[in-house]
Amino acid sequence: MNNILRFIALATLLLTSCMKWETGEEETFAASPSGLFITNEGNFQYGNASLSFYDPATRKVENEVFYRANGMKLGDVAQSMIVHNGVGWVVVNNSHVVFAIDLNTFREVGRITNLTSPRYMHFVSADKAYITQIWDNRITVVNPRTYQITGYIDCPEMTMETGSTEQMVQWGDYVYVNCWSYQNRILKIDTRTDQVVDELEVGIQPTSLVIDRNGKMWTITDGGYDGSPYGYEAPSLYRIDAETFRIEREFPFALGDAPSEVQINGAGDRIYWLNEDVWEMDVEAERLPVRPFLEQRETIYYGLTVDPHSGEVYVADAIDYQQQGMIYRYSPTGELIDEFYVGIIPGAFCWK
Amino acid sequence: MMRRFFYILVVALCLAHVVQAQDDVRRNIAIKEVTVFGQRPMKDIGVQRTRIDSAVLKENVSLSMADVLAFNSSIFVKSYGRATLSTVAFRGTSPSHTQVTWNGMKINSPMLGMTDFSMIPSYFIDDASLLHGTSSVNETGGGLGGAVRLSTKPAQADGFGLQYVQGVGSFKTFDEFLRLTYGDDHWQLSTRAVYSSSPNDYKYRNRDKKENIYDDEMNIIGSYYPTERNRSGSYKDLHLLQEVYYNTGRGDRFGLNAWYINSNRELQMLTTDYGEASDFDNRQREHTFRGVLSWDHLRSDWKLAAKAGYIHTWMAYDYERDPGNGIMQTMTRSRSRINTIYAQADGEYYLDKWLFTASVTAHQHMVESRDKNIILQQGNKAVVGYDTNRMELSSSLSAKWRPSDRVGVSAVLREELFGDTFSPLIPALFVDGVISERGNIMAKASVSRNYRFPTLNDLYFLPGGNPDLKPERGWTYDVGLSFAVGREGVYSLSGSASWFDSYVSDWILWLPTTKGFFSPRNVKDVHAYGVELQSSLDVALSPSVQLSLDGTYSWTPSRNEGEPMSPADKSVGKQLPYVPEHTATVTGRLSWRTWSLLYKWNYYSERYTMSSNDLSLSGRLPTYYMNNITLEKGFSLPWADLSLKCAINNLFDEEYLSVLSRPMPGINYEFFLGITPKWKR
Repeated sequence: MNNILRFIALATLLLTSCMKWETGEEETFAASPSGLFITNEGNFQYGNASLSFYDPATRKVENEVFYRANGMKLGDVAQSMIVHNGVGWVVVNNSHVVFAIDLNTFREVGRITNLTSPRYMHFVSADKAYITQIWDNRITVVNPRTYQITGYIDCPEMTMETGSTEQMVQWGDYVYVNCWSYQNRILKIDTRTDQVVDELEVGIQPTSLVIDRNGKMWTITDGGYDGSPYGYEAPSLYRIDAETFRIEREFPFALGDAPSEVQINGAGDRIYWLNEDVWEMDVEAERLPVRPFLEQRETIYYGLTVDPHSGEVYVADAIDYQQQGMIYRYSPTGELIDEFYVGIIPGAFCWK
Repeated sequence: MMRRFFYILVVALCLAHVVQAQDDVRRNIAIKEVTVFGQRPMKDIGVQRTRIDSAVLKENVSLSMADVLAFNSSIFVKSYGRATLSTVAFRGTSPSHTQVTWNGMKINSPMLGMTDFSMIPSYFIDDASLLHGTSSVNETGGGLGGAVRLSTKPAQADGFGLQYVQGVGSFKTFDEFLRLTYGDDHWQLSTRAVYSSSPNDYKYRNRDKKENIYDDEMNIIGSYYPTERNRSGSYKDLHLLQEVYYNTGRGDRFGLNAWYINSNRELQMLTTDYGEASDFDNRQREHTFRGVLSWDHLRSDWKLAAKAGYIHTWMAYDYERDPGNGIMQTMTRSRSRINTIYAQADGEYYLDKWLFTASVTAHQHMVESRDKNIILQQGNKAVVGYDTNRMELSSSLSAKWRPSDRVGVSAVLREELFGDTFSPLIPALFVDGVISERGNIMAKASVSRNYRFPTLNDLYFLPGGNPDLKPERGWTYDVGLSFAVGREGVYSLSGSASWFDSYVSDWILWLPTTKGFFSPRNVKDVHAYGVELQSSLDVALSPSVQLSLDGTYSWTPSRNEGEPMSPADKSVGKQLPYVPEHTATVTGRLSWRTWSLLYKWNYYSERYTMSSNDLSLSGRLPTYYMNNITLEKGFSLPWADLSLKCAINNLFDEEYLSVLSRPMPGINYEFFLGITPKWKR
């Protein structure tokens, strides 16, 4: 009996040992003056988004810099990031937050909350920025100085449920935004009145939007999917004149293609996109290129950017979407210069 | 709240002592006789089965089967929170590789493939068995990890009976249980109801976010980890179970089981969510009815059984937000409706040293899934979703042979038809034999091939469903040893060890596409192997003191052995994410006269959150140990039996996570009062 009680006492001691928690320490960073931020989406609903910073000069990458600098997680689905006046703004979609960070220390300097489901941010001025959203028929107007929401832009023919506004470009007093999820439009917003003043129908689901040096906007549709009640069609690349807000030229792809991620170089004279391979085209071209800029490397590319200074091309490989993704860096002529691991599902880039 | 519970408990126990009647209700459970090898049922030849004790199932009314399995078996329970989705997985496989039957009818969601064990109150289950790996082929196909067999049984009531249990716990949790029974020589009737509700707003330290302190110019001058409450986690679950059994007494038994669930649960906000809980409503509602009619026809050397059943499930998922005008507006509205018709026929025939069985099971699923409302290009409205039907037929034949008391051999052949696709033949072979009569040492071995068909969402979900998916395929090998010793009324000690090795190929994973949605593909080959240990000890320490100890341990490496998905893929050869390599449980129960003390402990080793097993800051979930304790006292009054119980969960107030970004509760308490009136005869 005593032996049994002793055994129980010992077993209890062994069994109840506590688990160990690593509480985030705040690391001090001094980032190089220029470089590339990579927003890693992480897995939806697992809160494991992260931010990476790569210095092309030293070829050094630092991962999880937001977590390491701030001792807290970046959140759930880091969608995009932009830099304005020396501050980085990271849009964390399913955390309903936009973090403002110091570009050298990666420390948080402020945050915008009370958002529905933010996707992208665009600065109209130092006092006014727009934040697009999915699952909301409004674009949020914020004052970045106070981190406060100052108003909303109602988008026509959208409900909360069908709301989807994405990337923004500006031409003069007008901001243009592509509407993606079960949408087919580009909206035109007057930044003086914060109202939608016009819209332009393109193909099904325009995924991304850039503007070139000639004031021509480029968007690329994904064409929907087979079985979609919204329709399924061959995707297209569109050249749209920002001044007249009219489609100038449509470059169709084959049905079943899934082009995405139209990007532009620093000079604004070459566009790039993903369609299994990486493609490049002069903005003056009148037909799609025949051969890709880079051939697919036994994987599905997920993100794309072009160094605005060097013209080097960076491609993201999310691999199985459950591990650290890989970024490949190519010279402007397509030679592999470097490759490095970042976070889970590297989806978007931002140049410092 | 906690202090008040203790106060109530102490006062109640003191008062009860005063009024306690002479005839103490002995809480001791008789120490069972050791099963001698010669008495083993032929159906169990070579089978690796864990039977969950009925005392464990009836431990307390607030428990779901997820809670029971987490502390009393070696299988991995992945819980997204308290009263939140909880899935179970055997041996390093996925939850959809666990087939679950209730009174013979498969209750895995045909859309998702898995079963939410947090939706099964353990008080509704009278018999629960885990069939590990190969052993599941006796019951059903598709159990690449194994099968969980749940059933109800006649209450063996004599006349009218009533039992009522009231639970009151932390976070304003209320659990009510009522059972009415009636029985005579032929009829057994039972009605059970459970209602559980809680705002479930437990406090936890949020280490994933920080609150900032600002100066007047909005500069951050300080920050801290906030202590938050679990936001948007409330639940209200009602379960009703009606059973009617009729026994002719001449070898025919009829049964009716009808189970109704009405669940309304919020989906908790992530630790990394900066939204205001009052601005969002994220909710899942479910109405499910499951009914089974059964007939058993028993004769001395043969048996026939037939079952018919029906399942209706209506599920609603709504994610709403108040855009600022005080009116909640829909962001996501999805609905699904599943109707399943079930039929089964079984036959058994004993011939000397042989047992032959045959079984045919049919499940006809009719599914409507409505996932998103959209506005078409022409301006009219439409819904994204799918409607489909699928017939799932499974038939099996088996021959079991026991040439001598010491040896048994069993062969099972199963064939399945899902829609218009036949599975290849699913064979399973089992052998067992007595190695030593002293200690009842037995060896078991089995091997099986198995297949799991894609779920309806895998095939048809919009967007992403992939009609070209192949079934997942697997081979499993099992070898085990077991022993049992004891003396009736004094002690019993039993244990088993088994080694398993299984290969699953064409494992289905949902991966994003370049179009921004996910789509399933047959991508991985997985090699899961390891060891499962179980032991059980019952000792009568003195005539009034009894001790039971049960322990399980499993070591389950589950490795991705597929082809790399790209040259950069680091996941090959690594442990699957969210599958712990080590799990263990220990349950100790000490009974003295009318007192009973229960101690429960479980352990999950570190789990990786990435397929590459990277040790980044969020790349792993720390090891955790959970300790729960329950003290119970029974009273026998002239008019009723009473039971008072106090359960303390997470005794050491551990901060832990089962899934990333899902907070779990710290120490919490629940107090139960059970009344079973004694009717005058």
